[in-house]
Amino acid sequence: MKQKRVIPGFGLSIGVTLTMVSFIVLIPLACLLMNVTKLSIGEFIEIITRKRVLASFYVSLMTAFVASLINAVMGMIIAWVLVRYEFPGKKIIDGMIELPFALPTAVAGMALTYLTADEGWVGSLFARFGIHIAYTRIGIIVALVFVGIPFVVRAVQPVLEKLDPSYEEAAGVLGAKRSRIFWKVIFPEVLPTLFTGFGLAFGRCLGEYGSVVFIAGNKPYETEIAPLVVMSKLQEFDYESATAISLVMLVVAFVVLFINNMVQARNAKILNGGN
Amino acid sequence: MKKEERNAAITKWVLIGITILFLGIMLLLPLIVVLVQAFRGGIAAYMSAVADEYTIRALLLTLEATLCAVILNTIFGLFASFAVTKFDFKWKKILTTLIDVPVTVSPIIAGLIFILLFGRRSILYEWLKAIHIKVVFAVPGIILATIFVTFPFISRELIPIMEAQGKDEEEAAALMGANGWTIFRRITFPHIKWALLYGIVLCTARAMGEFGAVSVLSGHLRGRTNTLPLHIEILFNEFQYIPAFAVSSILVVLAIFILVVRSVLESRGKKEYES
Amino acid sequence: MYVELKDINKSYGDFKASKSINFGVEKGKLIGLLGPSGSGKTTILRMIAGLETPDFGEIIIDGQVVNEIPASQRGIGFVFQNYALFRHMTIYENVAFGLRVKKEKKKYIDERVRELLKLVGLEGLEKRYPSQLSGGQRQRVAFARALAPNPHLLLLDEPFAAIDAKVRLELRSWLKEMIEKLGITSIFVTHDQDEAIEVADEIIITNQGRIEQMGTPLEIYQDPQTPFVASFFGQPSFLKDYQSFHSFEAIDNYTEAIVRPEFVNVTKKNEVQKYKSSASEGVVTEVSFRGDSVEVQVSVNGEKLSAKRSLELQPVTVGEKVDVFVYRMLVTEGKRVHLLENQSLHEDSVII
Repeated sequence: MKQKRVIPGFGLSIGVTLTMVSFIVLIPLACLLMNVTKLSIGEFIEIITRKRVLASFYVSLMTAFVASLINAVMGMIIAWVLVRYEFPGKKIIDGMIELPFALPTAVAGMALTYLTADEGWVGSLFARFGIHIAYTRIGIIVALVFVGIPFVVRAVQPVLEKLDPSYEEAAGVLGAKRSRIFWKVIFPEVLPTLFTGFGLAFGRCLGEYGSVVFIAGNKPYETEIAPLVVMSKLQEFDYESATAISLVMLVVAFVVLFINNMVQARNAKILNGGN
Repeated sequence: MKKEERNAAITKWVLIGITILFLGIMLLLPLIVVLVQAFRGGIAAYMSAVADEYTIRALLLTLEATLCAVILNTIFGLFASFAVTKFDFKWKKILTTLIDVPVTVSPIIAGLIFILLFGRRSILYEWLKAIHIKVVFAVPGIILATIFVTFPFISRELIPIMEAQGKDEEEAAALMGANGWTIFRRITFPHIKWALLYGIVLCTARAMGEFGAVSVLSGHLRGRTNTLPLHIEILFNEFQYIPAFAVSSILVVLAIFILVVRSVLESRGKKEYES
Repeated sequence: MYVELKDINKSYGDFKASKSINFGVEKGKLIGLLGPSGSGKTTILRMIAGLETPDFGEIIIDGQVVNEIPASQRGIGFVFQNYALFRHMTIYENVAFGLRVKKEKKKYIDERVRELLKLVGLEGLEKRYPSQLSGGQRQRVAFARALAPNPHLLLLDEPFAAIDAKVRLELRSWLKEMIEKLGITSIFVTHDQDEAIEVADEIIITNQGRIEQMGTPLEIYQDPQTPFVASFFGQPSFLKDYQSFHSFEAIDNYTEAIVRPEFVNVTKKNEVQKYKSSASEGVVTEVSFRGDSVEVQVSVNGEKLSAKRSLELQPVTVGEKVDVFVYRMLVTEGKRVHLLENQSLHEDSVII
């Protein structure tokens, strides 16, 4: 016997949902995969192991990793400050966190480039010591840090808020020092979400294009990220290469997402007592 | 004990200092630089940049694409979140993963897949040509790309809220014989109105600012297929800094507006939820 | 029979929530579905309502098979566990909702809502929202809302679970009275034995997706048919070797004996014990004050027993030697249960 649904409207809502998902996500993605199958495995491997392509993967992964690491540390500090301390202007700072979501990445990239160029407000300070930011990998990292700020903060913040103060009190009653309480009691609670935030930021940074093109300078082997290689292949109408490189990026993105979901699921299991 | 308290106070202000310094440089300074540079040439130069014919055309195209994306994604978000949260069905997990795909893939890949789907090498190309529809390097492509990258923005806001609300109220109403529309209008919708509005705001922000995907599909024809962010890129690359920053300032103001709306909506939603 | 379930089966994946459920409910009766959590009682209720569909079997309401009839047309009032009140509607609108979707006349709706709010004692609170009410008041609203469209059958899922202990007692008798007054056939689900005994006309005991026993509270208490039912009430003690106690009929191949605290009499050595010859000597291992009585744990031949003593009697202390007399016990043998009376009670009546 078929399960009857009590709430009406299932057919309509699932119909609309599936139709739109098919047309906007599924069919285009399938089209990408079909284009990949036009390549032989030898061709595919040849494309993605070209020196310039490999270099772009390295630049993408390395900068995204460093930027997400910086964001993990800074995000933890910012979330801590926003949850634990009271100070004037806190509300405004809290509201600003989402700016990277609201500000078009192109505008951010342009502004950051202007700031960090050797003659810019910030860039000139560093240039004196021979450190160049814009048009180097450091510049890419700066842009990616900007893009990734909200991910870690917004992941960690609610966990810190919900953290039962009696934990800390209990540890305090037992005579633990503040630093010890933080590292032994609070940090382990936050760590899984910190990792989630890191993963989300990392995933986003890997694909980021808008803010990076301006600041990267786009020198092959040096500051050329993978999305940029795809873009230049497209401009040369070399769709095979673009598709092959995209597939690798796509797979990496899904792997990151998958690991992230596993960590989240594991964490949920621990918190909910293993159901 | 005294010493411990003093240490805590020092930690507090050091962390607050780090936060303010970091966010000040990473978030605030880019905004300031945009506004300062925009007005460096005086009001007249600013106005002429903003009121430039190409700027206005780009703005109109951006608004057109944004409007399409918001309308379509709102419809999708409402149906999809209702289907996913109020009913049980097979492969729900796969569906929700698919819905989230557009935010995990790089915008460049988003652009690429539509080129592959509708471009010169697609099987659809000849057919579309016969009925005089141009998708790639034309307005429909830009709209499609915008819809794709913002696809889950509204459902993502709605699903957690509707999930938390459960389906008891809907079941109770259905038991009394209410039809789907009545249930949605009188039971479900009042719970999600603020989240929906917030989702629309986020969707608008991202749609207006989308750069990578639109860049791939645009063809960069000034006055024809240039959106605001693309227009800014062209100005910047032509070293027309004042116009570039002037046009950016429109988007900066918009971003600030969005952040304000966001915090208002969030506190609204919270209040409603608590009462 | 007004409601009848015939050979109902229901699984969720590998989990069998209902295994060939059969029972009938007479018109006008108030039935309690009692069982531990996960025993399938809520599933039964939801299937009767039409919120779940059985995999197999028939559900009959008022002589009609309702399997294919949608939930909204079964003429059922349903009170959800957490009431599922419409949080964005006033109390008035909550109660009126079922009438509005039936497109009743405005005047009738208004009369009916006011009548119901009066019945449940919530006049004057029409304009409040559910969040502004106490738990007990919310339950009354849920009750009124379920009754508004004049259902023939009222189903209540754990109606008292979300209410604090004190109010719960009040609400129990209130609900019983209300349902008796209206004469509506009702089925409620609970995991609380006291609640079931106090409120229900008849109790259906569920365990692991099966029905263990159905009967009046007294029948179920006095004459349990299965080991599960026998051990479900009170805080029973379990004896491995009941024959070490005097004057009980011997049963071969028994599994264990179940003794409820009220079956046991513990007396101090200096107190009168009418059946001293059949009593066993035990040692007090634990004494705890229970408000209206004293709970005494005694150890007899290595078996632990729990008993109650009146506060009027002299207190016993831990380590004290006492006489323990067991009036009766429930001895299980496989799936059967035997009620054994202490035979010295019989001898006594024979002598007199």
